[in-house]
Amino acid sequence: MAGSRPARIWGLVAAQAVGRDGQVSAADVCAAAVPAVGVTGAWLSAASGEDAGHVMRVTDAVAEQLAELQLTLGEGPSLEASASGGPALASDLGSSDAVGRWPVFAPAACRAGAAAVFVFPLRVGAIQAGVLGLYRARPGPLTDLQFGDALIFADTATLLLLDSQDHAAGSSTAGAGGQPAGLALHRDEIDQATGMLTEQLGTSIADAFVRLRAYAYANDLRLNDVARDIVARRLRMRPDPSPDRDSAP
Amino acid sequence: MDGELLSETFVELTDTMVADFDVIDFLHVLTDRSVQLLDVSAAGLLLADPRGELRVVAASSDAARLLELFQLQSQQGPCLDCFRSGRPVTAADLGAEAPRWPRFAPAARKAGFAAVQALPMRLRDQVIGALNLFRAAPGTFDAADVRVGQALADVATISLLHERSMRRTDALNEQLQTALNSRVIIEQAKGKLAERFGLDMGQAFNLLRDHARARNLRLSDLARSFIDGSEPLASLTASALRQQQIPGAGRAGKQPSPDEPPGP
Repeated sequence: MAGSRPARIWGLVAAQAVGRDGQVSAADVCAAAVPAVGVTGAWLSAASGEDAGHVMRVTDAVAEQLAELQLTLGEGPSLEASASGGPALASDLGSSDAVGRWPVFAPAACRAGAAAVFVFPLRVGAIQAGVLGLYRARPGPLTDLQFGDALIFADTATLLLLDSQDHAAGSSTAGAGGQPAGLALHRDEIDQATGMLTEQLGTSIADAFVRLRAYAYANDLRLNDVARDIVARRLRMRPDPSPDRDSAP
Repeated sequence: MDGELLSETFVELTDTMVADFDVIDFLHVLTDRSVQLLDVSAAGLLLADPRGELRVVAASSDAARLLELFQLQSQQGPCLDCFRSGRPVTAADLGAEAPRWPRFAPAARKAGFAAVQALPMRLRDQVIGALNLFRAAPGTFDAADVRVGQALADVATISLLHERSMRRTDALNEQLQTALNSRVIIEQAKGKLAERFGLDMGQAFNLLRDHARARNLRLSDLARSFIDGSEPLASLTASALRQQQIPGAGRAGKQPSPDEPPGP
């Protein structure tokens, strides 16, 4: 059923946080994804804009090497996923395809102990939050189910990362107390409202998205409903650091 | 039917091996050509997302896009039935279809459509999506039109899946996800343009599409450039806005008053 899959995956991520007695963060996605997607290890890098990003979390030494190799080499699936906005999938790093694609990274990754990598960009349209990387010690593709789950883990990490960046900025946060207001799949209005807010607030697309979600959270409204009001021009926001309550008369 | 355009369209829909192949632009060719070639008013297209849902990926008009979205939100309608069964679904008179689709049928009529034909995007047992054809006037769809529509959908499906077998096994998954993210970028850019110039979302999309065509850019690349500021919105000149017959095109940059929602 629609909606149950993201909720199940959120549960797996939240269980990680409970296990280490902390608040849920994007780093929990790494540990939760490894058994759920059926991979050997994972890494998570945070990035914004053109910044290649810093490695936030790794589940093992091989994952750490894979993440750092790419930063050093300036080549590999993380960079490709960041550039394209879609995943970079290589189910056999020893294949000529993979070597042709990443002549330096692919052999180096194999030497490090990886046989397959699957990297998912943490993106909401033009908003870039980082990448979630998964690797396997043996070659083989993700099943359709595993691929779908990995996408939802990546969606979850994206929202958690954007929320934590909002924390760092010192303003109020969306979804701090629980599940991040989900990224509904049928959400044209949320994306349109985000674009509109870049103009109303004079901010970047990432900040506009954080403000939109913070407003919904602070006012206990559904994200879809707030977005619909903005698109219908029933609600405007002002460039003001506090959550807005100003709306059209 | 325009035979020359039909031949051109088949060529366009098999031309997926080019280096700068873009799924979103490719699927827009399918919806736009369907409207040009067949006796239909609008076309919309849904594709399956591995997250376990269908997603709207292309539409010939904003009304068609909204109606596809409505089917997903209400979990009901011909495109969903077609996707689930893998078979064509037709309704010659939506005025009589309230029992079958109590939410979709009235919404479609309110949007100005009286008849609908949904065609599967299917290769053997694999259904990857569905193409919806909408017509303003009620009546049975012409059998030849339906055959051509299905042929266009088949060719597009084979082209997309062929891509996968010819290249890396993972290529289709990569491209479809890239396409879905591109769709989000396009919606974000529509919002920005709509707010800046006081447009509705349909006008904003037309502006974006015409500008991309005129400059020979991918829709998603132009959308991204507008959002990150590498392409200033000022490059959309007053004349481009006037082409969209947008009232007040001369006052680019002025915010619309919230009391006077622009557009129809």
